[in-house]
Amino acid sequence: MTPSFDDFVAAQVTPLLRYATVLTCDPHLAQDVVQEVLLRAQQKWDRIGSVDLPNAYVKRMVTNEYLSWRRRRAAKDVALCMTTLESVTPPVGDKTHHYDEREAMLQRIAKLPRKQRAAVVLRYYENYEDSEIAQMLGCAEGTVRSHISRALATLRLDHTPEPAGVGLRIGEGLS
Amino acid sequence: MNDTEQLIKEALGRLAERTPHPGPTLNALRRKRKRQRNNIFLIATAGMAAVVTLIFAGVIASDRYTPPNANDAAAALVQDNGKSVAFKYAPHWLPSGFVESLRATNVSPTRVWGPAGATPYSNPSLVIRALGGMPDTHGWESANVRGLEAWVQVRGDAATVVWKAQDVLEVTMSGASDAREVALRVAESVRADAKITHEPPFKLEGRYAELVRGTAPDRWHSSLGRNSISVQVATDRPELPAPNEALTVRGKQGVRNGNTVAVQDGGLWISATSSAWSDELIELVNKVEIAGGPDTGWIGKGL
Repeated sequence: MTPSFDDFVAAQVTPLLRYATVLTCDPHLAQDVVQEVLLRAQQKWDRIGSVDLPNAYVKRMVTNEYLSWRRRRAAKDVALCMTTLESVTPPVGDKTHHYDEREAMLQRIAKLPRKQRAAVVLRYYENYEDSEIAQMLGCAEGTVRSHISRALATLRLDHTPEPAGVGLRIGEGLS
Repeated sequence: MNDTEQLIKEALGRLAERTPHPGPTLNALRRKRKRQRNNIFLIATAGMAAVVTLIFAGVIASDRYTPPNANDAAAALVQDNGKSVAFKYAPHWLPSGFVESLRATNVSPTRVWGPAGATPYSNPSLVIRALGGMPDTHGWESANVRGLEAWVQVRGDAATVVWKAQDVLEVTMSGASDAREVALRVAESVRADAKITHEPPFKLEGRYAELVRGTAPDRWHSSLGRNSISVQVATDRPELPAPNEALTVRGKQGVRNGNTVAVQDGGLWISATSSAWSDELIELVNKVEIAGGPDTGWIGKGL
């Protein structure tokens, strides 16, 4: 039985927003991307609703929308801005000493080229295999490995752990 | 997995915690769909009007031309993470017939009301949230709530009021022509109430369900996000179109359907779904701890 579009949205909007937030590093952009995708999905729901995994299909639409969105807005960097993040969803208190390292890592992830970032998110957030990432990004598995390898090299290069409590302040050094 | 990779996972998990609330997205989607429907209607109507005009202009009717009735043409175009979460505040006035349909605790404590039986956030709806800080109110209209400075933003048939009581509170009324007045009246009625607490219906690895929605105390659905996996407990069976594969989960016969695993246990359906299948889904369902006597009495209740 094909689920209705409204039922699909009610069940999937939060997971889609969560994925888009991680992918875009920008909650506002995540909202825009998910809105656009759901609007298009609704127009084609007869077809999308009848595929085996509508949520996987729509997630791929979100990925493509993000990649093309970035291309459309190439002149303007939309990478992570912590003040934007904080204004939308204030962070939950975290007293662990990893806090600053994680925030600094987030900033570095946000500066990765879009396909590298998408590959990193799919590998380390979605736990996808290379073949699944390749399918999602529409490229060869070798290209996926290259994206991830380069991203890790960048992230590792910049990764110099700091003593607890001496990390970057939120919003510093961000575009 | 090395330290860098572990740190990447933790950083992305942290980012996921900042997922915006779905309310604004659903409202915007609803507005766009409505506009789209209106556009289609207007195009169809304009097309009909054009055909009618052509007919009467003589392309088809030629020598049998009679002037169109101006009133008819016009008429055609004019149609139209805690076990017990303290919400701390409660409204003492709601629009007539409104009942509570959703409570969320993942980002900001949120409560949603609407007509009985309606899907949460469908128009008309009323949302009250306690925010972690004051949002950017640049360009908002200045107002007053119980003698406190407040700000109002009206967007179409929706209005949001924000003010700072002991916490920053936000009231949003959507889908009403008098949304501004309703939102302000609800805001005026909000009082501190330490008794308004919420006990999520299940927990998983120390975290409690972050969202519960429903239409009656015995018809509800709750969920918790864990990275890209969504774990759900509900009174109704989840959508599991055939074919399903039988498997054992929680010591009972459950089903696997694509990347979803589900089992009925104690009258409730427990399920986990993700974008890719992994045995972790079964492990998570096994680990779900159901609260004894779930606190769902608020669902479908008004004031």
